[in-house]
Amino acid sequence: MIDTLLLLALNGLIWGLIIALIALGLSIIFGLLDVINIAHGDFFMIGTVLAWFTLETTGNFWLGFLVAPLIGFILGALTQRVVIQPIRGAAALSIVATFGLSLILQESVRIGFGPVPRRILPPITGTVPLFGIEYDVYRIFAAALSIAALVAFFLFLQHTTIGTWMRAVRHDRDTAIAMGIPAKRIYVLTFGIGFALAAFGGVVAAPITTVDFRGGVDILPVCFMAVIIGGLGNLPGTAAAAVLLAFFEGIIQSVADPTIARIASLVLMSAVLLLRPQGLFKGYAR
Amino acid sequence: MTTPVLETRNLTRRFGGLTAVDDLNLVLPGGKLHAIIGPNGAGKTTLFNLISGLLRPDAGQILFRGHDITGLPAHEISRLGIKRTLQVKSVFAQLTVAENLWITFEGSNRFLHPLRDAASDPIARERVDRTLEQIGLAALARRQAGTLSYGDVALLEIGMAVISDPQLLLLDEPTCGMSPAETERAVMRIREMARTIDIVIIEHDMSVVFGIADAITVMAQGAILASGNAKDIAEDERVREAYLGRPEDEDYVEEATHA
Amino acid sequence: MSTPAAINRVIFVVFSIFMLSVPWSVPVLISQFWVSVITEILIWSLFAASVNLLFGYVGLLSFGQALYFGFGMYGVGIGIDQLHLAFWPAFGLGIVAAVTMALISGVFAVRLTWHYFAIITVVFSLIFYFIAVRVKPLTGGDDGINFSMPPTFTFGHSAWSFTDPTFQYFFILAVVTCCFYLMHRVIRSPLGKAFVAIRDNDVRASLIGINVYLVRLTAFVMAGFLAGVAGALFALFGRYASASYMFYQVSGEGVVWAIVGGAGTLFGPIIGTTLFIVIREVVSTHWEHHSLIVGLMAILVVILAPKGLVGLWRVALEHLERDRVSEPASHALRIES
Repeated sequence: MIDTLLLLALNGLIWGLIIALIALGLSIIFGLLDVINIAHGDFFMIGTVLAWFTLETTGNFWLGFLVAPLIGFILGALTQRVVIQPIRGAAALSIVATFGLSLILQESVRIGFGPVPRRILPPITGTVPLFGIEYDVYRIFAAALSIAALVAFFLFLQHTTIGTWMRAVRHDRDTAIAMGIPAKRIYVLTFGIGFALAAFGGVVAAPITTVDFRGGVDILPVCFMAVIIGGLGNLPGTAAAAVLLAFFEGIIQSVADPTIARIASLVLMSAVLLLRPQGLFKGYAR
Repeated sequence: MTTPVLETRNLTRRFGGLTAVDDLNLVLPGGKLHAIIGPNGAGKTTLFNLISGLLRPDAGQILFRGHDITGLPAHEISRLGIKRTLQVKSVFAQLTVAENLWITFEGSNRFLHPLRDAASDPIARERVDRTLEQIGLAALARRQAGTLSYGDVALLEIGMAVISDPQLLLLDEPTCGMSPAETERAVMRIREMARTIDIVIIEHDMSVVFGIADAITVMAQGAILASGNAKDIAEDERVREAYLGRPEDEDYVEEATHA
Repeated sequence: MSTPAAINRVIFVVFSIFMLSVPWSVPVLISQFWVSVITEILIWSLFAASVNLLFGYVGLLSFGQALYFGFGMYGVGIGIDQLHLAFWPAFGLGIVAAVTMALISGVFAVRLTWHYFAIITVVFSLIFYFIAVRVKPLTGGDDGINFSMPPTFTFGHSAWSFTDPTFQYFFILAVVTCCFYLMHRVIRSPLGKAFVAIRDNDVRASLIGINVYLVRLTAFVMAGFLAGVAGALFALFGRYASASYMFYQVSGEGVVWAIVGGAGTLFGPIIGTTLFIVIREVVSTHWEHHSLIVGLMAILVVILAPKGLVGLWRVALEHLERDRVSEPASHALRIES
């Protein structure tokens, strides 16, 4: 019993780290561009598919960590220029646009990759003893990778020019523009980075989940939960919320089934929206 | 001593560390056109927001004709008869001028009929037409409000404030952004309305203030600096120092002193 | 009558005559199967209309109307399958369930605006989707439940029932037409004008005495009613109810149909729904990836014609009117000179 609890808790924790990456991408798109990106789960799915394709064509899984974010970035930047920019912030229309994008992505993958879910074998096999149970080496590695990516992202935001520009635009769009920050380019970058983050998360997750054209559908609500509960515009809060949510869902799963866990998270999310819409965590308040 | 039309007691409102309205005790006896003036940030618009229900006070009371209206929601306060215009002129841009007036007239009904045809009410139509005449926008009745000039929007706002039989009218910088001709028109309308309605206006244009106000209250930093009629205010040393010490206002001040 | 109004009137008459003749004309012109398709279009138009009422008129974008659709659908489904209700009680149960749910969730949802409102509507619908999946014995989960149709009207020994496709079609046509007519009345009523005022400038609306919260809630419940009727009709039509119809993608499709058709117009939802379902049916016989076209169209319309197809139509009519009006004048000049 304890073993199962531990296993599920650890799995939850690691999933939480991966979701934190994806949710951060969603958060910056939401925070900077005011776009509710319905296709974000599908960005993650594309990451898993790219991981599969890289493995198939080159036999090297690790290459996926380079290929997926790169292609993701390009696709994201392209999407912003072609689809989001012309709409120019009419929020409702952007929801329809991203919904359309979601359909296009899912269907394209279904055409190119096929409707049958496939699995990737983890590049590192074997287990290590951890807290008294035998735990997958790859999952530990996935955790480390995710943490590294999260740290890299936050460093990027804090210490690079572009990162600072992004934070400025998120904080006060008009002043940022008045100060000469190239807002349009920042928007393109933001969408690109958001896609790249989700795609990276997809590669990390590919060996521990299925590669399926519908893979994004389940991820999307969880990401939104993390963004809302963590607080819109509160990036560390979002990351923390993602980890905690997945962790607790993992624990609840040991006593009840996944659906109940999901319902519980959703109810929590409703409560936050109604009672404390700025999120549960204090941090960089909007 | 009749009940004052509006009274605030210890009215306080803070925004974070800033106290916008500070323990304000204001009495508007009514029957006069009352102006509230003061430098930017004095708390004048916040006061209007508190009275009209857009903001909740942190402390204190607001009484309208003796009734406590503190904390009531905006639409309730509007139904009691307190109407206002906004500092940044805003109307219903997608509706026509006539529709703007019409919806204002209908809006204070407790029950909005879901099935009757809106255009079929003769009483409403007559009222709308009359108000259009009053504010001088009859020619623009069918124009979309969003396409109006700023001055016409301000007039429409005044029309909307008047059509619903206000008991107390709060005008927030009604002549702001208007050309001199438009200002004159607006001032005429306001003077006419003041004959039958209690009006309070916030204004920065001193010619307007000293031209039409019977009573003036000067606010600074959330509190009342001075209160009285135009002559007293013009002569008040503190007021001159804090607010009126601008060369271009000297003429009006002189006029008022010798009125 | 002005030319655009006359053109619209003619189209409306032709359209009505066609709709009344469908069970006989369509099998001849196309096939019997398309009578079913048109019936489905009617049902889904009502669903799109529920999205449109909230978004197009009140300015609230709900991404969770599938919830009320689902309650209507399951009200009928569970009513017939488990409670062994007759036609009308089951239909009524579906509608009452949907409206009740809309009232309860609306009380909370309507306190929020914009992004948060859209998100919480999805969250509510997801919660009940998962509940529906969970209580599989009752709802059949994603697989759903099938049931047989009790008769609608019984007269002595004869009965009219949905097993007769012609009766089914006319019943659904009648209900959908009634709902659209009600919407038409509401839009032109004082309440409807209040909707638009709130959408335009909610602060101003409260300052003129409109109880913004209550009016939004009323709209929300009305939209829930429309979605619930659609769901109930769907269950009656398909003799089937499944949790998958409560998923957010169904809500999303409704949003796309409403916006592509033309938000804020009475016929927008019908046109949008027709377009996409026709595409789905026509394309899927040759190519199974019609979702790709749906996605592309959604994006194209949003970029090129944000007011939707009805919006485009109106612009076209305006151009026509302008050209026509300027013509007679130049004619007169030519004659003079």
